[in-house]
Amino acid sequence: MIGFIKKDLYMIKSNIKLLMILLFVYLIMAFQGQVDVSFLLPFMSVMIMISTFSYDTYNKWDAYVVTMPNGRKNSVRAKYLATIILIVITTIIITLLSFGVSYIKNHSIDLENMLATIFGSIFATILLQSIFYPAMYKFGPEKARIGIFVVVFGIVFIGGIVANYINLVPLLEVLDFIGAYWNIVIPIAMILMICVSYKISERIYLKKEM
Amino acid sequence: MENILEVKNLCKKYKEFELHDVNITLPKGMIMGFIGENGAGKTTTIKAILDIIKNYTGEIKIFNLDSKKNDMKIKENVGAVLDDMFFPEILTPNDINAIMKGVYKNWDSKLYFEYLTKFALPRNQQIKTLSKGMKKKLEIVTAISHHPKLLILDEPTAGLDPIARNEVIDIFQSFIQNEECSIFLSTHITSDLEHIADYITFIDDGKIVLSKTRDELLENYGIVRCSKEQFEKIDKEDFVKYKKNKYKYDVLIENRRDFSKKYEVSVIDKITLEELMILMIKGEK
Repeated sequence: MIGFIKKDLYMIKSNIKLLMILLFVYLIMAFQGQVDVSFLLPFMSVMIMISTFSYDTYNKWDAYVVTMPNGRKNSVRAKYLATIILIVITTIIITLLSFGVSYIKNHSIDLENMLATIFGSIFATILLQSIFYPAMYKFGPEKARIGIFVVVFGIVFIGGIVANYINLVPLLEVLDFIGAYWNIVIPIAMILMICVSYKISERIYLKKEM
Repeated sequence: MENILEVKNLCKKYKEFELHDVNITLPKGMIMGFIGENGAGKTTTIKAILDIIKNYTGEIKIFNLDSKKNDMKIKENVGAVLDDMFFPEILTPNDINAIMKGVYKNWDSKLYFEYLTKFALPRNQQIKTLSKGMKKKLEIVTAISHHPKLLILDEPTAGLDPIARNEVIDIFQSFIQNEECSIFLSTHITSDLEHIADYITFIDDGKIVLSKTRDELLENYGIVRCSKEQFEKIDKEDFVKYKKNKYKYDVLIENRRDFSKKYEVSVIDKITLEELMILMIKGEK
């Protein structure tokens, strides 16, 4: 499986420059005290990994991979692991830089606030990965992208209308609970999301006709 | 003789196409040419053998193992070249080596780089910058660098110039020097097979219409070139197919010697695989 992880990571070599530019933008904005864009780097790393699905489809990699030992399973597992590796690396970089910038500017580190921001950003990227990947495997990159945007837009639109007619207090209580115990709730939610998403993707890919 | 590949009663149904009871047997150490026109079912059969397509019926055994239950064991010893299916084109031959080291237990980097040098393939250029011939050679080199025992090739010489085709055929011939190794090769460029194939299997409209040794085919089969009057004297059981041309009839027969004993015709030519294919597809009975 190591080979498959390498394949996905080699495919994003050319995107490293983009991540470097983002890092530079982050540093400038952080020193100027403008909007915190630290979430952008892990988010972009997932978006870059999502772009590898298009290359795979274009070159019919999905069919070729089946000719290799345990190709279907290893390919899906590798895609998830390569993405997580990239998220972890970018998160470590952005965390260290955030600490550095904060210390240079204020001579102090607001640990809790920073960790909350970082956890929130990882949660958002894992959520993105967990929704996108099964859809990519099921419908292919083109249809999946359009489909997900339609679904998200639909949920927001319908949610906005429904919110006017229902009592939101219970929902706010749930959000308060998550806010109070975020350091436990968010990691558990992330692990659950990624496991469920992986299992769905694997099931789709094992049955898929290439 | 031990069989390396056995396909029994393979059926697969699509909306507009169907594979009917495909049976194939490839003995160890042999090359089988799998011929047929475009859309006859060659790629579908290969995809079923490699488990790329699902929901087919029938039995496929590779190395005497059920292909559905022994994916790991089988694929470690199979190399495949598929039509237009390969690594993403932004990768380089060097990347492929690093990747394959983590895919196959027997991946042989030394052999892989030796082949790259032999075929003048660049190591650090993206696949998309390679010519069609170079890309095909890279696909073949990649397929044989883990010392597979069975090579499955779908149209490996399609679109190549004669020199590149010759080089590719040389690779197959050196691969088959090891008597443990076999090749299952689909193509519609039949002239390639006349030099290297031990067996010829012919598929038409999803059905296997002929499967014989190359020698049996090329030595026994023939084409009778005759007039209308001569043709009308031939019993229906004594020919396979016929094709009416402007001034004469081309009649495909199974055994030239037996035929010449029974009928008095002046011209019975040896057959080429291309003529065989044309007569089998376009001929009438």
